[in-house]
Amino acid sequence: MPPDETRPATPFEEPRRSLLISSLPREATVSIALFAAVWQIMSYLAPTLGIPAFAIPGLGRIAKSLATITPLDVAVTLGRVLLSLVVSFAIGVAVAIVMYLSESVEKYLRPMVRILMAVPVVSWILFAVLWFKGVEFRIVFVLVVVCAPVFTVDALDNMREVSKELKQMIRSFRPTSLQFFHKLMLPAITPGLITSWKITLSLAIRVVTIAELVGAVTGIGHQLSVAQELFSVADVFAWTLVLVVLLFFLEALLVRLETRVLRWRA
Amino acid sequence: MSASAAIEIAQLRKVFRQTTSGQSVVAINQLTLRIAPGELVAIVGQTGCGKSTLFDLLIGLEHPTGGSIIIGGKTPYDDFNHFRGRIATIFQQDRLFPWRSSLDNVKLPLELIGIPENVQHERAMSWLKRLGLEKFADAYPRELSGGMRQRVAIARAFAVQPEILLADESFSALDEVTAGELRKTFVELAREFHSTAILITHQLEEAMSVGDRIVVFGKSAALLADVRVSDWDRADYPLLREAIQNTLQANAPDARLTRM
Repeated sequence: MPPDETRPATPFEEPRRSLLISSLPREATVSIALFAAVWQIMSYLAPTLGIPAFAIPGLGRIAKSLATITPLDVAVTLGRVLLSLVVSFAIGVAVAIVMYLSESVEKYLRPMVRILMAVPVVSWILFAVLWFKGVEFRIVFVLVVVCAPVFTVDALDNMREVSKELKQMIRSFRPTSLQFFHKLMLPAITPGLITSWKITLSLAIRVVTIAELVGAVTGIGHQLSVAQELFSVADVFAWTLVLVVLLFFLEALLVRLETRVLRWRA
Repeated sequence: MSASAAIEIAQLRKVFRQTTSGQSVVAINQLTLRIAPGELVAIVGQTGCGKSTLFDLLIGLEHPTGGSIIIGGKTPYDDFNHFRGRIATIFQQDRLFPWRSSLDNVKLPLELIGIPENVQHERAMSWLKRLGLEKFADAYPRELSGGMRQRVAIARAFAVQPEILLADESFSALDEVTAGELRKTFVELAREFHSTAILITHQLEEAMSVGDRIVVFGKSAALLADVRVSDWDRADYPLLREAIQNTLQANAPDARLTRM
């Protein structure tokens, strides 16, 4: 008997769909379609409402702008975000471990971390422009200085919340410090770290855009700057759309990773 | 230390200072107790009598305020690493890692003492088989019943074939039938591997069904009675039970317990 392609292979297996489509419920699709329709109507009505035509370009014009999106700029921005997040994660978690191990170090570092988190992103960008020559280093510096403290605070809070009972149990077996972190702390804080990645991913996408807008000659932020100089709302819309889709795509990847890594919680 | 004693507790004292009031609380006051190798001792006492503090001191997670605990010539706190793979614990709650399968939970202490991976797997599987859980080797703790999880915890403790086995209210959270089965398994395994075992419990029935010896604690671990169960005729067990019960309730020794 030929396999029935309309039915999943097992009662529990969902048919495969693309990453983005699978994460879009019907309600979301409807609301996006509604927004597009309202935008298109506004685009038609703009001249009669006294709004310049270029301010609300039609969907066709936006589609043309989307067709001119340069993948290299998307790749550059994506690379900067991922590299900076990896560096931020490594620094943030390492600092959190040191703070967890030493109460006195924690007392000195906590105010510093709080201060770092309180400084506005724009100030960091200005500092980076004034302090450093290399464009790439400036961008990575800004991203790391903004994202690493978030990882530190989240990792430290999660380490503190690891159950005392589990700590007592593993200590009774006398692990080395490395084993204690590797066998207990790291797996125990993994759910919290994944949540932290979700937060910093969204933060990093916004920060990288501003950083590129100010001081880069490549990347999505730079292209937004060019579009602004050309008064091209369609291009701004298209690049913004790319940023949003990029964020959703990365978040969907994280959710997949989360489902896989945390399958023990299902 | 006596050559014949596996565990020698002498004049042990543990005082905690309350962080809020700053007052001192004497959890254990001048406890002296000797436990011979291979002995199964049940320590019974009411809540707050210092049983769990003694457990933490025996594991080596707390430092005595005074006196000493010597196990095989070493102290569990100062010679902490000496006891790696020599002491194992079973707690009231199973304390399994929820992110590890049953098999991986049993492997944990073997990983910590550096047993080769293939031996870890073989040994952990044999323990799961022994406890009737081979079909659940890949199951996560959330997929197991309370009794099954506690079996995994027992397998984890015995996997290192410990010289000293410490159990803190290990069966009191289970239903009576499951608890009875696990107590029986616990005693069988402790005897088979000649482990010196201490079971801390507040249930007299549990103490009597497990221990070769029953030690009764009063306030601040005051030694109210130390009874070798085998010295009593089985016919006299009701009398023994009643005497220990009286001791626990009155928080003072019962004359009948000193008849030996």
